Amino acid sequence: MRKSACVALGLGGAVIAALAAGSAMAGQELGQPLPQRAPEKVYASVCGYCHGTNVGPIILGRKLAPALIKTMVRSGMNGMPSFRPSEISDAELNDLAVWIEKSKANPKEKGK
Amino acid sequence: MSGIAMDRRGLLGAGVMGAAAVAGTAMAGPTGEGAMLAPGVSRGDLAGALKAMRAVVGDQWVSGDAMAVLPYAKNYLPDPSGRHRPVGAVCPASVEEVQAILKIANQYRQPVWPVSTGKNMGYGMTSTAMPGQVVLDLKRMNRILNVDPELCTALVEPGVTYQQLKDYLDEHNIPLWIDVPTVGPIVSPVGNTLDRGVGYTPYGEHFMVQCGMEVVLANGEILKTGMGSTKNPSAWQAFKWGYGPYLDGIFTQSNFGVVTKMGMWLMPKPPVYKPMVVRHKKVEDLPRIVEAMRPMRINNIIPNVVLMMSAAYQLAMFHRRSEVTQSTAPVSDAEVAKFAAAHDLGMWNTYFALYGTEGMIAESEKIVRGAFAAIDGEVMTQEQMHDNPWFHHHATLMQGGLSLEEIGLARWKGNGGGLAWFAPVAPAKGSETQGQIALAKQILGKYGFDYTSAFAIGSRELHHIIALLFDKSDPEEEKRADACYRELVTGFGDQGWASYRTGVHAMDLVAQQYGATNRAVNDAIKAALDPNHILAPGKSGIA
Repeated sequence: MRKSACVALGLGGAVIAALAAGSAMAGQELGQPLPQRAPEKVYASVCGYCHGTNVGPIILGRKLAPALIKTMVRSGMNGMPSFRPSEISDAELNDLAVWIEKSKANPKEKGK
Repeated sequence: MSGIAMDRRGLLGAGVMGAAAVAGTAMAGPTGEGAMLAPGVSRGDLAGALKAMRAVVGDQWVSGDAMAVLPYAKNYLPDPSGRHRPVGAVCPASVEEVQAILKIANQYRQPVWPVSTGKNMGYGMTSTAMPGQVVLDLKRMNRILNVDPELCTALVEPGVTYQQLKDYLDEHNIPLWIDVPTVGPIVSPVGNTLDRGVGYTPYGEHFMVQCGMEVVLANGEILKTGMGSTKNPSAWQAFKWGYGPYLDGIFTQSNFGVVTKMGMWLMPKPPVYKPMVVRHKKVEDLPRIVEAMRPMRINNIIPNVVLMMSAAYQLAMFHRRSEVTQSTAPVSDAEVAKFAAAHDLGMWNTYFALYGTEGMIAESEKIVRGAFAAIDGEVMTQEQMHDNPWFHHHATLMQGGLSLEEIGLARWKGNGGGLAWFAPVAPAKGSETQGQIALAKQILGKYGFDYTSAFAIGSRELHHIIALLFDKSDPEEEKRADACYRELVTGFGDQGWASYRTGVHAMDLVAQQYGATNRAVNDAIKAALDPNHILAPGKSGIA
């Protein structure tokens, strides 16, 4: 993993990063690259298709350490695929890891 | 670079030691000592190529050390020797950067392996067919360039995922559907189409609904296929064929160019959508199902790709093997039947859907119900299946909905995550099924693996889709899976049932099933378009 991905952001950092993302929730426009996504969007577009649908373990509401989350995402482990910085950028992953750590359990999710 | 004279294709089938010996050099981690380099490429060549690529895309978008390459090394295939690990990666953000990278690859003779999103799980992800390659990761090229709501077309870059395209259509209230493979959210229309993958709506044959490509050739020139090279390319996404030889096909399942833009047709959302399943209780029912289904597919009464899912495959999606059997021997039909019956599944579960107006669907449904009543099929609809998770899964896919539930297959045998798709093709005749099932069970059983399969009818052909599920965390089992897969390819090939697609671990072996002339023509095209063999050597058995 790149060094920058190993630096855990504090909550303040995550908020600043989310604000800096600006148009993260505005979606993609024709001819423009995909803008940086907010952690909720990354989770819904990627993680949540397995974690919470009985494919992968539940990860929300478990206070998972951001460093562990980032290692799992970049390396893939067991049945989980790895995700490259070209898919989930280092900045998105930093925000995502903090967001998952702080998240509450979602009762609508299925699995263990 | 080092000069080297060799039989390039001979290297495709070489084992690890053979390849490493011919390559003659090895270095630590992916690019260090012990790593297998491409034939004729020295450690200095690779280092020089990566340095030059950094100058093109920036340091952060070139991976060369062990940790940075790690995300590119993951795959689900049997690869007991690690032969398919890439040695680096480069991530361009534009066509111009792709051109510059190919110029560097030619200069250093360093081969690159293009991927769009690199998530074809069970076929190889970002691993490579031959050792020593640098992944050309196109995921950053993720622009949706055009969507025409009137012609119902789109033009996208390789890094655009189905999720992105669906989000764009939803956010702009454009009533067009996408058509997804089973890992839709994280894969791309470009990658899946170039691999000649399929989906499950009436637009499920993805290469049939592809229209126009932009291709960067190995020499850096840009080719636009179809109408794309005319002075006014307004029909680029409207008319597939252009003029003269139709070229798009040679850029699918091949290594003749890097596709950087692709046009596609999108299906208008129909007024009514009605998913259905037909359950049959006996394994022996399959020939009758195929006979009943073929005329309805050819006459387009049923307009989408039909899946006939075995109970074992369905169970493996949402359950673990230990719930079904405690035996280490291949799971038996009796064990599967008992568990399936308790979960509202037949031994064959045939999924399809009807699309159109209420009146059109009512007329088609009469024909469908009549055909299945004649062969004791139990026809079920949404109202009867309620929240059955398998019905919900297929009803989602058949309207272009996004899901990753099939990844659950990789956990059937525990957490090890081993999956390799074996996909031989036969004509859509019932008589073709029983011999295949017997052969599959015989070979899988010899190596101790379960028969978890589905059949699909696209139009006139029958795909037999076998998920070879194994525990990749067990080195002995991984070796067995590798040997089993090879015997499946040759055993089926001997009967004329060759695969339409395969993973990076078996591309040369599958190419052998298609004969010497086919391979010689591909070699000739390769020599003409990529004389230095810098584009994905080994892809589809083409050196």
